[in-house]
Amino acid sequence: MSAVESGGDAKSHGRGGKKHKKKRRLSIRIDMTPMVDVAFLLLTFFMLTTYFSKPQTMELNLPPDEKSQVEVAESNLLTLRVAPDGFVFWNVGTEPAHYIEMKELKKFLEDKNKENPKLITLLKIDREGKYRMMIKMMDVINIAKVTRFSLAPMNEYDKRQIQKARAA
Amino acid sequence: MPKIKKKRVGFRIDMTPMVDVAMLLLTFFMMTTQFRPEEATAIDLPASNAPFKMPETDIMVVTVNKEGRVFLGVDSQVLRAQLFGEANKLRPSMEVDRKSLHDLLIQARISNPKLRTLVKGDKEAPYGPLEDILDILRQVKITRFNLVTELEKA
Repeated sequence: MSAVESGGDAKSHGRGGKKHKKKRRLSIRIDMTPMVDVAFLLLTFFMLTTYFSKPQTMELNLPPDEKSQVEVAESNLLTLRVAPDGFVFWNVGTEPAHYIEMKELKKFLEDKNKENPKLITLLKIDREGKYRMMIKMMDVINIAKVTRFSLAPMNEYDKRQIQKARAA
Repeated sequence: MPKIKKKRVGFRIDMTPMVDVAMLLLTFFMMTTQFRPEEATAIDLPASNAPFKMPETDIMVVTVNKEGRVFLGVDSQVLRAQLFGEANKLRPSMEVDRKSLHDLLIQARISNPKLRTLVKGDKEAPYGPLEDILDILRQVKITRFNLVTELEKA
């Protein structure tokens, strides 16, 4: 297996004339098997340890200061609240909240923003919720090209709103 | 009758091309390989469609694992020695509490202003600690940071 011959064939069998004593060429054969074995071992090692899919990242910009409050008209404020179990509720201003399915959210956000270009989206996620929910929501918001949105902590009032929406 | 001896056909396969290809692959993998960075805890990344690639150098990673424990890691050993002490410079990241995270983030940014902040949360992590981290980041005036996710499989 995979041996390399060097020095050509040992042709010098001619036991001819005494005058021209041909030097016998030695044919060297190196057994490459161990080297190839090691090479394959390394190859498998590198193939298994390497990874190509680098994680993606989502860029997030926070407003620099919490104190810089911006006055927003109630009708321009869309609040999305995420309950601990992953249900999403929305409302505009101080209207009662409504449940919305995750699947419809993208279209919903696009429509709402088309209706009212000044709309600001506020995302409130329950502290008991999962991080996955936050990423999912932000992803939808990014895909729907909503640039004016912000994150806010969920307070007792928000929880009561969710309770009410659930009861309805 | 003379016994007909079956002549054994000794055959040889020339393995040279195969070995050549193997060597080529080996070199390729050796050149391109990037080892998975060490992690203090196993993190199962959430999926998203975010388009940015993760930066590799000058990074500072705030990790939140499944139980909501918070770890801070930086990529350079020098900075690690500065932040966590000489003894811990080989550890990829250290568990931190909310209070020390605040101070360490400031310290790290002073040592290397080019540091970029990554927040890496397990997808099952509770949102509470994440919210605290976002709050701390706001306090230390890191207003631009990245959330590490995995590309969603369509």
